[in-house]
Amino acid sequence: MRKFTTLLLAMLMIFAMAVPAYAAEEPVTITYSYWGTPDEAASVQAVADKFHEEYPNIIVEVMAIPNEEYTAKLNTMAAGGNLPDCGIMNENGVLDFASKGLLADISEMYAGADAMPLDSITFKSEGKPVAYSAANEILFMYYNKDMFDAAGLEYPSATEAMTWDEFIETAKLLTLDKNGKNAADPEFDPENIVQYGCVVDNWTWQLEVFALSNGGRWFSEDGKECTINDPAVIESIQKVADLTLVEHVMPYNAGLEDNGIQRSIATGNVAMATGGAWNVGTCLNSARDDIGLNYGVARLPMMERSVTICTGGPQVVFSQTKHPAEAMEFIKWYMKEENSWDSLIATGIWMPILEKYYTDPELTAKWIENPNFPDAEEYKAAVVDYAMECAESTCWYYIPHTNDFINLLRSVLGPVWTGEQTAEQAITENFDALNDVFLGF
Amino acid sequence: MISLKKRKITNSQLRTETKTAYLCLIPSIIGLIVLTYVPLAAVFGLSLFRWEGVGTPQWVGFANYVRLFTRDPYFMDSIKATVYFAMLAVAGSIIYSLVVALLLNRKIPARGFFRAVFYLPYVLPAMAVYIGWSWLYETNFGLFNYLLSLVGINKVMFIGSSELVVPSLALIAVWLSGNLIVIFLAGFQNVPRVYHEAAEIDGANSWQRFWNVTMPCMTPIIFYNLLMALITNLQVVTPALALTNGGPGNSSCFLSYLMYTYAFRSGKLSYACAIAFISFLLIGIFTIILFVTSKSWMFSEGGDD
Amino acid sequence: MNKSSFKSRKRQEKAANIATVIILLILSAMVMLPIWWIFRSSLMSNGELFEWPPSFLPKRWLFSNYAKTLEFYPFWHYFKNTMTIIVPSVIGGTVTATLGGYAFARLRFPGKKFLFSLCIGSMLLPTMVTLIPLYIMWTRGFGLIDSYAPLILPYFCGGGAFNIFLIRQFISTIPRELDEAATIDGAGQFRILVSIIVPAIKSAMIVVALLLFIQMWNDLLQQIIYINTDEKFTIAIGLSQFKGSLKSDWSAIMCATCMSFVPGIIFYLIGQKYFVEGIVMTGMKN
Repeated sequence: MRKFTTLLLAMLMIFAMAVPAYAAEEPVTITYSYWGTPDEAASVQAVADKFHEEYPNIIVEVMAIPNEEYTAKLNTMAAGGNLPDCGIMNENGVLDFASKGLLADISEMYAGADAMPLDSITFKSEGKPVAYSAANEILFMYYNKDMFDAAGLEYPSATEAMTWDEFIETAKLLTLDKNGKNAADPEFDPENIVQYGCVVDNWTWQLEVFALSNGGRWFSEDGKECTINDPAVIESIQKVADLTLVEHVMPYNAGLEDNGIQRSIATGNVAMATGGAWNVGTCLNSARDDIGLNYGVARLPMMERSVTICTGGPQVVFSQTKHPAEAMEFIKWYMKEENSWDSLIATGIWMPILEKYYTDPELTAKWIENPNFPDAEEYKAAVVDYAMECAESTCWYYIPHTNDFINLLRSVLGPVWTGEQTAEQAITENFDALNDVFLGF
Repeated sequence: MISLKKRKITNSQLRTETKTAYLCLIPSIIGLIVLTYVPLAAVFGLSLFRWEGVGTPQWVGFANYVRLFTRDPYFMDSIKATVYFAMLAVAGSIIYSLVVALLLNRKIPARGFFRAVFYLPYVLPAMAVYIGWSWLYETNFGLFNYLLSLVGINKVMFIGSSELVVPSLALIAVWLSGNLIVIFLAGFQNVPRVYHEAAEIDGANSWQRFWNVTMPCMTPIIFYNLLMALITNLQVVTPALALTNGGPGNSSCFLSYLMYTYAFRSGKLSYACAIAFISFLLIGIFTIILFVTSKSWMFSEGGDD
Repeated sequence: MNKSSFKSRKRQEKAANIATVIILLILSAMVMLPIWWIFRSSLMSNGELFEWPPSFLPKRWLFSNYAKTLEFYPFWHYFKNTMTIIVPSVIGGTVTATLGGYAFARLRFPGKKFLFSLCIGSMLLPTMVTLIPLYIMWTRGFGLIDSYAPLILPYFCGGGAFNIFLIRQFISTIPRELDEAATIDGAGQFRILVSIIVPAIKSAMIVVALLLFIQMWNDLLQQIIYINTDEKFTIAIGLSQFKGSLKSDWSAIMCATCMSFVPGIIFYLIGQKYFVEGIVMTGMKN
C-alpha cells in the first residue's frame, strides 16, 4: 500500500513537471487587482470577461481590495513576492513602487498607438515615465442651482474662475440661519445655520490646488525640496480654514474622510462645493434621483491664478508577474477608452486620458452629451476646457513618499480646522517632521 | 476544605498522569511558546533593526526608540491619547458596572431582564457599535445634540473636536462594558453569607455591612476587573479604525493604531515593533502600579484553602 | 431583635427595592436608547434622517430599507464568511481550553507550577504586542496570504489563558470523590474527562464559547491585516467598507449595522442562562 502511494506521488510529480510543456496552448490566468466595493468589482469583472472573449487564451480574475487598505495590502504582498500580475494603483504609491523596482517597464504600453496620454498624468521618476494614469480626474466646483435661484443669484461662470473674495461674498449670501437670514446680514445667527454657502474639501491632497492657486508650491518643481512652509502655501491653507472660522460659510470638517461632495452637494444642504470629477458618476447621479438635486459645474475659485490639479490611478503590470506579456496585453487593452467606456467614462466616473477627447468636438460630444452628465455646454467649459487650460500634475506624479507625507499633513492640519492653531503655527512647528517624511524616513 | 487524608500517589500513577497532562497541554504549550513568548522576544529583536519587509534587516540598535521619543510626529501625542482614553474608560466602566451590579444584586423583580439589558451592548460587534454611535454623535442631526438642544445647549462636535473625541469614545467603551457587570454580580453572590449574618448580629446597618463586609470581599474582583479593563483599553484600536483615523489632529491616534499604520500602511515593520514593545512596557508599568498599590486596599481572605 | 423593628426594616427594604427598580428602569432606558436610535434610523428615509428636530419614531416604518440595503450589501455572504472563521475557532478554543483546564485542575505532573504561571502571565500580555511577529510568521513563514488560517489556528492552541483558567476554576469546584470513584472502577483520565468532568462543566464551556465568539466578532484589527479581498470579508470589515463607500446613505448604513447586531443577540439569548450561572459558579476568586 505504501509503495503504491509513493509510486502514485512520483507519477504525479513527473506529470506536474511535464504539464507546462503541453500546456502552452492552455489559457493563462492572470489576476488584476482593483480597489472598490464588491459591486464595482463585479462591473470590472464584466470588462475582464469581455477581454477574455477577444483574447480566449487569457483569463483575467479581478481581485477587489478595499480602497483604504489598498496601498498597504499591495505593500505587504510585494514584500512577500505575492503581488497580482497587474492592477490599478493608488496614485500616492506609484513612485515608491517604481523605486523599489516593483513595476514592469511600460515603454511599450503605447508603442504603435496613435495618441499618447496627457503629459500631466504621466508618473515620472527622475524624468523617466514609469506609469500612466488610467483617467484624468480634475478638481472643480459643483453648485446647487436651486439654491442660487432661491437667493436670486446668477450661476457661477463656467468659463471664468471666481476670485476668492467673490467666492466668499457669494457663499455668504447662500449661508442661511434658521430665521432665513444670510451671513451678510448683521442679525445673522452663526450658531444656528441650516444651509451652508460652501464646502472647500479639506481632504488633504486636494489642498495642494489652493497652494498652487495662491502662487506657492508644496514641493519645488524639480521635486528636490519640500517648500510647504512657503508663506503662500500657509496662507492658502489658512484661507480655507477661515471659511469656517471667520466667515461661517462652511461647516466644520475634520478632514478625515474623502467625502466632500457626499456630505455637501449630494445631501442637498450646501450651495457650492469643490471636488473631483468622479463625483458626477459616483454620487451626484443618484442624488438627482434621490433628492431631486439640480446641480451645475463651474471652475474652482482662485486665489492668485486659475488652476486645477489632475490625478488618476494608473494601470500597471507588476514586475513579479510570471506572465508579463499577457498582463501587458490586458492593460493595454483596458487602457483603451472604448473598453472602459460604458462602466467608467459614460457614467461620469473617469475622464478620458487622450488629448483628442478634449480637442475634437465630435469626441467630446460623444463623451459628455449623455444624461449622466450635467448640462453639456456647462460641463464642456467648466470641466473639459478647464482640464486642457489649467490642469497641473498633483505632487504624487513626481514626488515619492506622498502617502506618508499626506497622512502626516492631515494630522498636522487637524488643529487648524478647529482654530486651535493657525496654519502658520502648525506648519512651522511640524516642518521638520514633514521634511523627514519627504526625505523618506 | 480540609482534606482528611493526603492522596497517595504511586510512581506509575504519576507517570500516566504526567503523560495525560502533557497530552492535554500540547495545544496550550504550543500556543504559549509559538504564539506568545517567542513573538514577544521577536518583537523586541526586530525593533533593533531597520526593515521594511523587503531585503535584509539592518542593525540599528536603539535608533528606532530614539527616533520615537525625539523626532516622531505622532508618538508622544499617541501615548497621551492612549493613557487618557484608558483612564477615562477604565474609571467609567468600573464605576458604572459596580453601581449597576450593586443595584442588580438586590432582591427585585425582573432581575433577569435587567441583567440582559445591561449585558446586551457587550455582545454587539464593536465595529457596528462605533458606526451606530457615530450617527448618534453626528453634529447636525444626531441624538445627543438633539437632547442637548432640549436643554438649550448649542451644537457640540463630539467626534470632530480634538477635546471631546476621546471622552466621546470612552463613553462608548463604558456602554460596552456589560461583561464587567456580570463578573461583579458573580462576586457579590459569592460573598459568604456567614459574614453578613455575623455583622447583622453585631447590629451593623445595611450601609455599614456594605462597607465593612461586602466591599472588602469584593476587592479581589475589583482588582481583577481593573486589571483586565486596563489591559483591554490600553490596546484600544477599533474606534480609530472604524471612525476617526486617529484624528482630529493626533487626538485619537492610539498606540495600537499608530503601530498599525506604521506597520501596514507605511510598511515600516521594525519601527512599528518598537512601538509595540513600548506599549508592552507601558502596559507592564500600569500593571505593576496596580499590583503594588493593591496591597494597601485589597482585602485578602486568609485561612480559606 | 424585636418585632416592630423587623417590620420597619421590611418596609425600608421594600422602599429601597422600589427605588432600585426605578433607577434601573431609567438606566436601562439610557442603555437601550442608542440601540433604539440606530434601529429607528434604519427604518427612516434619508430625507427624514436629515430633519430637525429629529423624532424618536419613524413617520413610516420602512422595513423595505432592509431589502434595499441587502441588494448592495451582501450581508449573508459576510455572515457566512464570519461563521467560517468563528465556528471552528470557537470549537477549537473551547476544546483545547477544556483540556488545558483539566490538566491544571486535576492532574499532577512535573513543571505544573511553572507552566501555570506562564499561562497566567500570558493573560497580561496584550495581543497587539505580538501582532507583527505573528503576522510575519503566518504570511512569510507559512505563506498564508488572504487566508482565514491565521485567524483560526491560534484558537486551537489553548483558546486563551483566561479560558483555561476559567475551566480550571470550574473543575476545582467539582468534588474529587467523583473522579476518584471512577478511577477505582478503572477508568482512565480521558474517560473521566469525557464522562464525568465535561457533563459537569457544560455551563462553563458555554461561557468560554460565548467569550470566544465575542472576542472573534470584535477582532477587527487582525481581520483587516490578514484578509485582503472582498470575497473573504467578514461582517466587521464589510461594514467598515460599506460605510466608506456610502458616506451619506445613513439609513442603509444603519440597516447594515442593525443586521450585524442580530447574530450576537441570538447567540446571547440562547446562552444567557448558562452564562450567568457559569460565571457565578466559577467563583472568580483567587
